[in-house]
Amino acid sequence: MAEATQNELRVRLVTPDQVFIDGTADAVDLPSRSGYIEALYGHAPLLAELGAGEVRLHGGSVGEQRYFVAWGFVEVLPDRVTILAESVVKPGAINPAEAQQELERGQKMWSEAGEESRRYSEANRVIREAEERIASAASSGK
Amino acid sequence: MANVLDLRRRIRSVKNTRQITKAMKMVSAAKLRRAQQRAMVARPYAQMLASVLDSLVRRVDIYDPETGELRHPLLVARPEKRVAVVVVTGDKGFAGAFNINVLKAAQHFIDDSEGRHLEIDIEAVGRKGKDFLRRRFVAARFVDQEQPEHVQQARQRQARVEITGDHPGILEKLSFDRIGRFGQELVNRYIAQDVDAVYVVFNEFQSVISQRIVVERILPIMEVGKHDIASATEMEAEERERMAEAATSAQVSLQATDTREADEEARKFGTAQVDYIYEQQPRKLLAELLPRYVSTQLYHAMLESVAAEHAARMTAMDAATNNASDMIDSLTLIMNRVRQAAITKEIIEIVSGAAAI
Repeated sequence: MAEATQNELRVRLVTPDQVFIDGTADAVDLPSRSGYIEALYGHAPLLAELGAGEVRLHGGSVGEQRYFVAWGFVEVLPDRVTILAESVVKPGAINPAEAQQELERGQKMWSEAGEESRRYSEANRVIREAEERIASAASSGK
Repeated sequence: MANVLDLRRRIRSVKNTRQITKAMKMVSAAKLRRAQQRAMVARPYAQMLASVLDSLVRRVDIYDPETGELRHPLLVARPEKRVAVVVVTGDKGFAGAFNINVLKAAQHFIDDSEGRHLEIDIEAVGRKGKDFLRRRFVAARFVDQEQPEHVQQARQRQARVEITGDHPGILEKLSFDRIGRFGQELVNRYIAQDVDAVYVVFNEFQSVISQRIVVERILPIMEVGKHDIASATEMEAEERERMAEAATSAQVSLQATDTREADEEARKFGTAQVDYIYEQQPRKLLAELLPRYVSTQLYHAMLESVAAEHAARMTAMDAATNNASDMIDSLTLIMNRVRQAAITKEIIEIVSGAAAI
């Protein structure tokens, strides 16, 4: 029986298409908008928006796992972590060439943005997502 | 009178047709099962998003204390002067009255709005609807195609009802990515006050025997987690019976899958009775979540519509198969009669010939 032992977090990763992961882990790294957060058992209740980056699970039933998310939303409770993510990709499945193209597109948008702050922030978002994607793909080989 | 050979040929051809409709029915049944499954696994996300939004809306003072205004534009209702209507039909025919029913509801909505002097922008999803609406209404003309963001300002309206876009291929492979972009586009138009409301006309599908055509308002958001149905047409009893019959023969379950437990679980998301630390300002979270909520609603409308389309096709093909069987029976009867008549005639000829000698 999968004993729900102490000090383990119940982790769920939910996308619009399916429930991606439903398991337990000792710790979860979350790419929040303002930087990575690590959630351990007993974490204070938290709601946060996730930016582009990797969700990493350590220990527990699911083992070491990493997933790239482009945008997400997370609820952390002392004994559980629930992540809503719009798209989830395994780092190994990322196509670096595509990400590179995306990065160039973002840079082009940035240089063409002109006066509008909205277009700047959109360009920045694209650039950041592409950079994270490339970094994630590069580290998956190790 | 037709001779035996002709009838036999005719029967063979009807039998071939029956083979085809039977195969199509089974294919539709399989696709329906898959579509139902997909709609079910998509529920937790939508439910979680709705519940966290609901709790956010309640916690965050969405009214500005100084001006008393709502803080997020998507929650503000304006008097309707121009609305966008998303009409969701199928890409293919052979689905009974499925496409027609949706289009009828859309037409009804458009006719109704005439008295209110409402301007309507149609967004057609699905090839059948696009073709139908194209014949009736003009396509919007944009002066400047270069910058999609500013298209709306550079537009010359020619008629009360115009088609502003279609989305070919969006139903073939439903991806949240693409629908999310479509949703974002609608949200942008709403925020830019280009439209004052967004309606979706689609075939709602809870289970094979529980379906209806609805006109649902997805923008502005009046109450999170509630469907804002402007009008609904229930399925006729006769239609429902036929659906049930077809589903039973194709071994598709009639009941909606029980998702209460999962729903209950999902409803807890973001609503625990504790003081959350908000990593970002609640107001910013709200601003990020609301447009996504609109997209999930759109996604759901399309998932359900696809399931309904397969169910309708399955039913239509079941009816066609039954008709073919009936036709084969009556043709066989006629053929036997004709053959018997020929035999009788020959016997009479022989007998009367013998009597004459």
